[in-house]
Amino acid sequence: MTPLIETPVRQIDEERERHELERVWAHRPGILGWFSVTTHQTIGLRYIVTAFVFLLAGGIEALLMRLQLATPDNTLLSPDRYNQIFTVHGSTMMFLFAVPVMEGIGIYLVPLMLGTRNVAFPRLNAFGYWMYVIGGLFLYCGLFTNTGPDAGWFAYTPLSGPQFSPGKRIDVWAQMITFTEISAMCVAAELIATILKMRAPGMSLNRIPLFCWAMLVQSVMVIFAMPAVMVASNIFLLTDRTIGTHFSNPAEGGDPLLYQHVFWFFGHPEVYIIFIPALGMVSSILETHTRRAIFGYPAMVLSMVATAFIGFGLWVHHMFATGLPQIGEAYFTAASMMIGIASGVQIFCWIATLWTGRIRMTAAMHFVLGFIFIFVLGGMTGIMLAAIPLDLQVHDTFFVVAHFHYVLIGGALFPLFGGFHYWFPKFTGRMIDERVGKIGFWILFTGFNLTFFPMHILGLHGMTRRIYTYPAEMGWGPANSLATAGAVLILTGGILFIGNVLTSRKSGPEAGANPWDAPTLEWAASSPPAHYNFINLPAVTARYPLWTPARNRIVVTGLRDDRREVLVTSITDAQPQFRYVLPDPTIWPFVTAILVTIGLIGSVFQFQWYYPGFVLAAIGLIGWFWPRGPVEIEP
Amino acid sequence: VTAQRALDVSHLPPWEVSSEQPLWWGQLLLAAIEGSLFCTMLAMYYYIRLSVDVWPPPGIAPPGRLLPAICMALLLASCIGSYLASEAAKKNDRGGMIFGLCLNLGLAFAAMTLRGLDWGTWNFKWTSTAYGSIVWGIIFIHTVDVAADLVFTLVLLVLVVRGRCGPRQRLGVHVDSVVWYFLVAIWIPCYITLSWGTFLVGAPR
Repeated sequence: MTPLIETPVRQIDEERERHELERVWAHRPGILGWFSVTTHQTIGLRYIVTAFVFLLAGGIEALLMRLQLATPDNTLLSPDRYNQIFTVHGSTMMFLFAVPVMEGIGIYLVPLMLGTRNVAFPRLNAFGYWMYVIGGLFLYCGLFTNTGPDAGWFAYTPLSGPQFSPGKRIDVWAQMITFTEISAMCVAAELIATILKMRAPGMSLNRIPLFCWAMLVQSVMVIFAMPAVMVASNIFLLTDRTIGTHFSNPAEGGDPLLYQHVFWFFGHPEVYIIFIPALGMVSSILETHTRRAIFGYPAMVLSMVATAFIGFGLWVHHMFATGLPQIGEAYFTAASMMIGIASGVQIFCWIATLWTGRIRMTAAMHFVLGFIFIFVLGGMTGIMLAAIPLDLQVHDTFFVVAHFHYVLIGGALFPLFGGFHYWFPKFTGRMIDERVGKIGFWILFTGFNLTFFPMHILGLHGMTRRIYTYPAEMGWGPANSLATAGAVLILTGGILFIGNVLTSRKSGPEAGANPWDAPTLEWAASSPPAHYNFINLPAVTARYPLWTPARNRIVVTGLRDDRREVLVTSITDAQPQFRYVLPDPTIWPFVTAILVTIGLIGSVFQFQWYYPGFVLAAIGLIGWFWPRGPVEIEP
Repeated sequence: VTAQRALDVSHLPPWEVSSEQPLWWGQLLLAAIEGSLFCTMLAMYYYIRLSVDVWPPPGIAPPGRLLPAICMALLLASCIGSYLASEAAKKNDRGGMIFGLCLNLGLAFAAMTLRGLDWGTWNFKWTSTAYGSIVWGIIFIHTVDVAADLVFTLVLLVLVVRGRCGPRQRLGVHVDSVVWYFLVAIWIPCYITLSWGTFLVGAPR
């Protein structure tokens, strides 16, 4: 790239600039101010906290299922209640926890890591959050009024169709999907625009932190995968149920299998949408904790991109038992095995990094090592399931349940917990208790394996998933009791984690800006960061800006600090192009979310509610965009 | 007061009406989202078509030819209006923006009127077999998208006419054209499918 233009030494009056920035980036007071916030850190933290509340809810549902299955012929839950609980558990974990928590961390960290002040579309960010919360509350309102969906988290037709699922349960599920997908797509669009156009000067593509690369790849996957699930849930399922279309009605030329195709065209990439940000977290933690540059940065980036591409070509391996043509199945077997190569490259890069680094065994590092162990096991059973003969044997059994919990908990939850311990000082300004964190890790690790390892064996012995009980003669009792004991252990680990977070947040030692001596820009901001992130935006000259000597570091001057001004840079080389004024906070995203909600929830009962919904949404958006005051016309 | 090496950016323009803007990228991504939605629906159309012998199913009249073709031509022509408006926005030419936006809106309204007239000739509804469901599904979503964009084009026109059009609003005019190009471009495969798909794929009727 062309070198940065000359950078003379300047005298910078930090105190004066801080004072001005505090004023311009302050939140508005009062309850209306609370609903108007567009600061990325605040919204990111709201996402994270809300997602953890849903994790707790989904965890309680899991525990209820485990208690029900602990002994044969148990009657703790009725079959109908059990159906609702496993469906809401799966839907919560996928749509209300895993995706939003990754996005929350992305929203919080990406602008800091890129060295800018906010995401590209702060109001859209706020709108996305409100859509997510409303969608989650809607699902739980359904569950608590005995209208919880009960056809599994993928709601296959014809079971979920009008004939076999009368009532409103499935409609609640279908519209919850719409809410959360709108939210996910808002976040994806704003993160891509931010990562492409708002990086610190000098942060060319080959200097982007791996976590930001991961969020970029994940966001692109969201853009292309999520519309399919909106087609499946909203156009396919909901219209079949409310206005009598025939997409899944074979008597009228429709096809229930088509629903599975459309759903899994989203559903398989969804796994990578959850998992790829976790890869970015692992790389960030490893760099800091081995105190060396990641081994094979280009290979890491390319394998994430490859994972995203191949991830769109695997969906049929969820449908091997549906009797598709063998030539098609063979292709999807090959593709499913091929994605193991992309994941394998990353695992080997991490091992090489660990091998040659000076390892610091913090709680975060424990979670990363636990991740590698569990995820490799989940990957192995994945390769097994890609083989059609084995898949047909264990399809819809607990073997599959064990596999995807190894992949998702191992592949996403452990890195997430590691990331949470790692970035906790940044989020709160205080250190998390390392000793309690490590004890928590061992409890979670043991509890996890105790819960899910026996499920492999149960599945091979023929225990199908989603059954609410089983007779004693099957001999499944002991392994199930063991799994339930493991679940109680996971709960204990969870409570310990929450306790550690709450006490460390109040009384942990003060962290300072960069307690880990980490290399990326989020650690250049104070802990917790001010609303404007940096007094002077940083410019970078290396991939690891905070590992370059202090005398070589460069700051950006000349941005106006009497308004929310940031810098737009070019896509490949991040050369400064022009200044850019971010909009002020406003209540309109919240109002628009409420107005959109009227249409979406109304349509569960009657399709015609969409029409007032469109009009109201348009009113909300016009209010949102209508220029107020001179700065919104002439920046 | 601290001394630091500094990169001064005060000479850079404070705003730019161009395709380098984050908002332009945002609109492009919105188009990608809607584009994958339409691609999914077109895939569904052909999946359903290939699973039956007779298409359109018995009792459903084959699609008309004239009105959808004129509608497509008008939509293509309306892009000229969008283009003129977005070029005028870059040059801060208020009259040009008004002319371009009006041309865009006029041709788009004419196209939508023809689409409405065409609907009047259909002898099936979304409840008439899976054919009716998918055809109505595609055209309904596209019409909603077009209607939404026309409302916002109208709002932009009001702002420009009333003179409340600084660089931010001009950027709005510029990126509005991206959405419009997309809505017209995505209608090309939809139009071919809905008007000619009954003859293009599968056994002849």
